[in-house]
Amino acid sequence: MSSHREAPEISKDPVADSTDVYAFVSPDKPGTVTLIANYIPLQGPASGPNFYEFGDDVLYEIHVDNNGDGQADLSYQFRFTTTVRDPDTFLYNTGPIESLSSANWNRVQTYSVGVVKGGSFIGLGRGLACPPCNIGPLSTPDYPSLAAAAVHSLGGGISVFAGQRAEGFYVDLGAIFDLGNLRPFENLHAQFGLNVFSGPAAGVNATNHLNVHSIALQVPASALTVSGHPTIGVWTTASRQRVTLWDADQGQNVSSGPFRQVSRLGNPLFNEVIVPLGKKDLWNSLPPDDDKQFAGYVTAPGLASLLPGLYPGVFPNLAALVSSGKPRADLEAILLTGIPSGLIPGFTNLTGTVLADMLRLNTSIPATPAAKQNIYGLLGGDPGGFPNGRRVTDDVVAIELRAIAGVTYPLVDKSFTPDAAAGKLTDGLTPASVSAPYLGSFPYLGVPYSGFDNPS
Amino acid sequence: MPRHDTPSSASPAGGVSRRSVIRGAATAGAAGLAVTALGGALSPAAAAAANRPASTGASASAGAGAAARPGAGAAAPAGPGAPTGPIVVHVRNAASGDIEMFSGISQTRIHDTDLAARIARAIG
Repeated sequence: MSSHREAPEISKDPVADSTDVYAFVSPDKPGTVTLIANYIPLQGPASGPNFYEFGDDVLYEIHVDNNGDGQADLSYQFRFTTTVRDPDTFLYNTGPIESLSSANWNRVQTYSVGVVKGGSFIGLGRGLACPPCNIGPLSTPDYPSLAAAAVHSLGGGISVFAGQRAEGFYVDLGAIFDLGNLRPFENLHAQFGLNVFSGPAAGVNATNHLNVHSIALQVPASALTVSGHPTIGVWTTASRQRVTLWDADQGQNVSSGPFRQVSRLGNPLFNEVIVPLGKKDLWNSLPPDDDKQFAGYVTAPGLASLLPGLYPGVFPNLAALVSSGKPRADLEAILLTGIPSGLIPGFTNLTGTVLADMLRLNTSIPATPAAKQNIYGLLGGDPGGFPNGRRVTDDVVAIELRAIAGVTYPLVDKSFTPDAAAGKLTDGLTPASVSAPYLGSFPYLGVPYSGFDNPS
Repeated sequence: MPRHDTPSSASPAGGVSRRSVIRGAATAGAAGLAVTALGGALSPAAAAAANRPASTGASASAGAGAAARPGAGAAAPAGPGAPTGPIVVHVRNAASGDIEMFSGISQTRIHDTDLAARIARAIG
């Protein structure tokens, strides 16, 4: 997964668990950048009576570094407040929810948003309504309209949305975490002598028909960048107060003390695949400019060492590269510094020399028209996609698999020839593996699956 | 005399960066005896000790920069001697008197062997 349940501690705290970050030049609104941070992974739509919601006790943030030092120059902050209108009913809603002000909606969540800039907090909006979860045809009869009403304008050209969405990240979790199996190539897997698979198979999207909670911002690019630095670094964090106590007298948790970061996400799969198990919780607590200590896991990724053993004979050139001990400067550029100019004609998203895991977006590169988008992003010749930011449809699993398998190493060593299989690696999924259609406009992720219809 | 550390919850405007705050949290270990004071549940002696002027002064300096740090907008301590909500006391090490206190979105850390001993006796 991109970052769903990726570390031991945060896997026990789904409300604060960041799952995906997206950053892209808005295809339908030139001059703006869309930033999306997803939380609360793997939501089964039929989740009543207590449907999913953001944590009132969690500080959610989307950070932007616009000068390449790996530190936040802008931190958009979100705080949620849940109100129970009638505590004497067990119901989330007592009738159809036909508007965000519906008296039938019993458990309502609103939020405030502001930005920390230059050491000062600037409030941008308060009392903003989240939509309810998508329950079914009786409770939420026109869900798209409810969600559309929850897109708020904050002034200054900024739009915001916070609420449930269909999971847009597609991945074959079941196979990948069964010892690195990729179903389209599973007959080539070593299979540990078990001989379970005799031929290739289609991928299975483990996140299909599941929901997530999104925090989405659409901001003028000019508000995110500084002159001469069109590339921004983006990441999200969730923080909790240092102390949480169960107040048995009140039957609720009580929090106290300053906020401390418990979850972080920039590039997809960084903590999940690059950082070793014993350091994942630490990584989640640190800012990006502390990532130098993890650089060794980027330049010598464990997965690159595993692939030749998992798929015997398929990756001889990768095996030789691993054996050579040469650092993977290509991966360091992609994940930790941005890609400098000169490696890919006409392209750069370098932010500087500071090693920091951030999702880097060169905002001066226009959005690629939908018909010309390539889900493999930069690897597919499309500079509008990952790792230049990340769009909701980008196949980041395949892109990162291919990069780690050596496809991008010729960027720094033209004498290296990637294995033929490296450029074909995939878990067998595409955006078509997501049943809920992506939207063509903000907030771009699809209408969440309803509990009535899912599972069916 | 008790020794009072600079509160680690100060904002960037207060001279301690968000980065150092986060780093401090990452390296801090949990140890010792935890005592909670929820709505006056702390013993009167310990509560009085926790509200000594020097201690609350440290909390006040932490609260002064609240507007610019994560969580800005949340309730902050009203001022010296007047925390508005529950106080949580964490005795990290009773022998050395290493004590952390939390209220609102502030924290302060003191070294007070006498207070730590009294808290330990109260809970024991």
